[in-house]
Amino acid sequence: MSAPRCTSPRPLGDLSDYWLGELSAAVEAPLEEHLVGCDECSRRLAWVVDLAAATGALAKRGLLRVVVSDEHLGRLAREGLQLREYCVALGGSVSCTIAPEDDLVVARLAAPFASRERLDLVFCDATGHEEARLADVAVDPTRHEIVFTEPVDGLRRLGVATLRVRLVDVAESGERVLGEYTFNHAPWTAH
Amino acid sequence: MDPLSSVAFARRCNERGRRYTPFVESDDGVLPDESPSDADLARTIGAAASGSARDAEAELYRRFAPRVRLYGLRHLRDVHAAADLAQQVLLMTIESLRSGRVREPERIASFVLGTCRQVVLDRRRGEARRQENFDRWAAGLSLEESPRPAEEIDSDRLRACLERLAARERSVVVMTFVAERKSDEVAAELGLAAGNVRVIRHRALGRLRACLESEEGRS
Repeated sequence: MSAPRCTSPRPLGDLSDYWLGELSAAVEAPLEEHLVGCDECSRRLAWVVDLAAATGALAKRGLLRVVVSDEHLGRLAREGLQLREYCVALGGSVSCTIAPEDDLVVARLAAPFASRERLDLVFCDATGHEEARLADVAVDPTRHEIVFTEPVDGLRRLGVATLRVRLVDVAESGERVLGEYTFNHAPWTAH
Repeated sequence: MDPLSSVAFARRCNERGRRYTPFVESDDGVLPDESPSDADLARTIGAAASGSARDAEAELYRRFAPRVRLYGLRHLRDVHAAADLAQQVLLMTIESLRSGRVREPERIASFVLGTCRQVVLDRRRGEARRQENFDRWAAGLSLEESPRPAEEIDSDRLRACLERLAARERSVVVMTFVAERKSDEVAAELGLAAGNVRVIRHRALGRLRACLESEEGRS
């Protein structure tokens, strides 16, 4: 036996707003009444809750390549996660690795630019061949840096390798490379 | 143990889970059709001799428990407290139905929601007292609970789907859900407008849902 079907399913966006406590009381009260009386929308809300938990778990295991804020990393560090960070100047390079105890590997790229329409991070191999791209990254221009995490499982499998990351200004007229950052990776060796 | 006691009832409902079998109740406890509404269930329980509409009660419990648990998670942010809330609220609801204290069974969801709000309020008042005692006696102890496991979503598939999102969508989703940050907080940290973050999050959720349900998400 199942409950009758919902005649007015609520959008996922509304349900995420509800879960995050972003609705006004006037909007939240009727939605909450609907949810308590509706199996279908309750299941959709449960999906949002599960998605939130699963996304958080992936991020905390360091498995996502994602641009984040400095404050976000601070919260993870305060939770006890071990962060390995590399700061790279525009046009600069860094020797890098990943230790067994590291939970996340973070790159901080200096980006001394005024606001742009769209900035992409282009990930290239040692020869400069594009392998992946983060398009339209969110950058706070007041901080003048781009911070992203790199998946730790890929780094742990990597031998000695060079990774080049290009910061690209994308406009209607075309793309322009603003700068390049070089990561010289070597597997962890205990000293 | 009294088979109609609250504890016995809750145990029976939990054991039964989703293995509900359609039935024919006693004269005043017959369910009206194959898929009765919540209000039908409430009326059936209210009309039956106290405690005799057992299957209707079990079905009401089965339907409402997950919904109330979600309400509890939203307001209490604790999986165990939410489970306790669900049990407490539904036992109170069924006892109220049995004793005829629910005046409008057709508005049973409103009754359940009102009970949820009252129980959460009572818990918070009690929690303040408990916190005072905790601060006094338990300072310095390390008490940790396991995070709520995400059982419904395959993490490999989710990872693949997150990687298909635009960079900005991925940033907003991750920063929002890792620490349950509101739009204005994420916006301030990423140098975006709060409204923009909300729109990005809504769009990303739709894409993730579609991806996770598609074959692409399975590959």
